[in-house]
Amino acid sequence: MIWLTLRQFRTQAVAALAALTALAIYLVILGYQIRHAYTTDIVGCAPASCTSARHDFAEAYELQVTLIGAVLLGVPALIGVFWGAPLVTREFEEKTDRLIWNQSITRTRWLAVKLTLLTVISMTVTGLYSLLLTWSASRYDQLIGDRFGALTFASRNITPIGYAAFAFLLGTVIGLLVRRTLPAMALALALFTMIQILMPTALRQHLMPPVTSSVQLDAEAISRADFMGFDESGARIDGYTMPGAWSLTSSSQVLHADGTPFTTEQAEQCRQSDQQARMECTAKQNLHFSYTYQPADRYWRFQWIELSAFLGLTMLLTGFGFWRIRARH
Amino acid sequence: MWTATIETERLGKRYGRTTALTDCTLRIPAGRIVGLVGPNGAGKSTLLGLTCGLIAPTSGSIAVLGNRPAAGAAQLARVGFVAQDAPVYSGLSVADHLRLGARLNPRWDMPLAQRRIKQLGLNPAQKAGRLSGGQRAQLALTVAAAKRAELLILDEPVAALDPLARGAFLRDLLDFVAELGVSVVLSSHLLGDLERVCDHLIVLAAARVQLAGDVADLLAVHYRVTGTRADLPAGAEIVHAEHNARASTAIVRSTGPIPGAEHADLEDIGLAYMTRTTEPLEAQR
Repeated sequence: MIWLTLRQFRTQAVAALAALTALAIYLVILGYQIRHAYTTDIVGCAPASCTSARHDFAEAYELQVTLIGAVLLGVPALIGVFWGAPLVTREFEEKTDRLIWNQSITRTRWLAVKLTLLTVISMTVTGLYSLLLTWSASRYDQLIGDRFGALTFASRNITPIGYAAFAFLLGTVIGLLVRRTLPAMALALALFTMIQILMPTALRQHLMPPVTSSVQLDAEAISRADFMGFDESGARIDGYTMPGAWSLTSSSQVLHADGTPFTTEQAEQCRQSDQQARMECTAKQNLHFSYTYQPADRYWRFQWIELSAFLGLTMLLTGFGFWRIRARH
Repeated sequence: MWTATIETERLGKRYGRTTALTDCTLRIPAGRIVGLVGPNGAGKSTLLGLTCGLIAPTSGSIAVLGNRPAAGAAQLARVGFVAQDAPVYSGLSVADHLRLGARLNPRWDMPLAQRRIKQLGLNPAQKAGRLSGGQRAQLALTVAAAKRAELLILDEPVAALDPLARGAFLRDLLDFVAELGVSVVLSSHLLGDLERVCDHLIVLAAARVQLAGDVADLLAVHYRVTGTRADLPAGAEIVHAEHNARASTAIVRSTGPIPGAEHADLEDIGLAYMTRTTEPLEAQR
C-alpha cells in the first residue's frame, strides 16, 4: 500500500520537489543578501544616517519578503487543492475505487496509509519552506517586521505546518463528500482561503485574552505612535505600538490622571516652537492613554496555540473522513 | 451441504426514491458459473456491488461464502471483482498493476499473472491507459484472477468487446475457471453471451429476480407451445405468450411433460422472463 501511495503520488512529488528546490535556492540567495546588507548598512551605519539606512533597507527588501511570505501562505492551499481534493475523487471518477477497494485491503487501511504518508509529506514540505523563509527573512523581521502581522505570523516558524495538514485533510474530506475533482478543488480553495482571511482578521486575537494597560504619554510613547491629534472630545493618539506587541487598539483618547480628557486649550499651554521642549512639557502633564494588546512574549504561545488548533481540526477531519469512507452507497 | 456461494434474504437497495433492487432472495450453490442477465437498469450492477461489498443493502441480508461482504481483509481476499468497463489505473503500467496485486493480496499468484500477460501478448511496460478495451478487460480479469479468490465476480465483462473478442474472452474464461476451480458470477444484458458458459442462471428485471436456478433444471421444466393451447396440464403456467395473426407462441413452465410441445431453449426462457415484466398483466393472459 505504501508502494502504491508513493507510485500514484510520483508526478505531484516531482512537481513539488522542483518548486521547493527553486524556492529554496531563491530563499538562500535572498537570505545572504539580507544578511550582507544588514551587517554593512545597518550595523555599521554612521549615527547620523541610521534612520535613512533603515528606511533604505526596508524599501529594498519589503516587496520580496512580503511576496515570498504570500507564496508560503499559498503552499498549504495548493496542497489542499492539488494533493487533497483529487486523492479520492480521482478514484471515483476513473472508477478505480472499484478496483482498489476489492483488493485484500480494507478501505480504512487504504485511507489510513494514504493520509498518514501524504500528511507527513505535506507538513514536511511546508515546514521546510517555512524554516527557510524564517531564516532568510530573520534580519528583516528583526529590524522592520511586524511579527504578529497577518502575513508574517502565518508564514513563519511552526504555524504553516498546521495549515498544511489541515488544508490537505480539508481537500480530501471535501473530495469524499463532493466526489468530483473540479468542484472539490474549487470548494477546498474557497474554504481554505476564507479560513486564512478569518484567522488574522477575526479569530487569532481571541486565542488569548488581550491585555489592557494604561500607557504613560511620554516622549517614547509619542515616538512609537503614528500621529497625535485633537478632535472635539480632546487629544487622541493613533497607531501606538508597544515593541514587538500586537496592537488591538488603533486609536485611543489621551486622558489626565483623573480620567478627564486632555483638551485643545490645555495643549495650547505647551505650544512651543521647539519640538523637544514641547514634548517635555506635554509629558509633564502626567497624561496617559488606554492600550489593548497581545504582549510580545506571547508570540511563541500564539504560534503553538494556532499550530495545535489546526492540528486538532485536522484530527477532526480525519475522524470524519474515516467515518465517511466506511459508508457504502 | 456446502456453504452457498451467495445467499440473500429479501435483499433490497434503494437510492433515495429509486428502487434498484427489491425482495431478492437467492441461494447459489458453490462451484457454479452463474449468469446474471437482465435489461440495462435491471439491478445487475447493484446486486454485484452488494455481493462484493462495494455498497451496503438498505434492507434484507446477504452472505457471500458464509460472511458479510467486505467484512474485513480476509473476506475481501476471498472475492475477486471486475467492475463494469474494467477500470484500471491509466497512469500505471501493466507491470505496475501486477505489482499492486502482489502487494495488496496475500494469496497473489504471480506466475499465473505473468503467464496470462504473456499469453495475451501485453507489454508489461505499457501504460494501462493506452490499452484497447479488450486488453484492459483482460488486464482487470488477470488482476482479479491472480488474487486467487474463491469467487470471481465479473460485471458485464464482454460489453466493451466486439463479437469476435467476446467469444474468445469467454472461451478463455472457461479454461481459466476450470484451472482455478473458482465459482464465477458474470452479468450481461445479452443472454446469448452467457448461454454457452453458465450452468446457473438468474434473470433480473425491474429490480426483481424473475427466475433463478441451475440451467439443467430450468431447461427441464420449460416448454415452447405453439398454436392453440387448449389443454395444458394442471400446474402448468404460461410465462409469456406472443400472438400474431396466424398463431401464438408461449413459453410455459410445467413440472410434468406437455404432449406435443418441445423444450424451450435458454435464450427463449430468459427472454420470456425479461419481457413479461415490461408488459401489462392483461397481455399475459
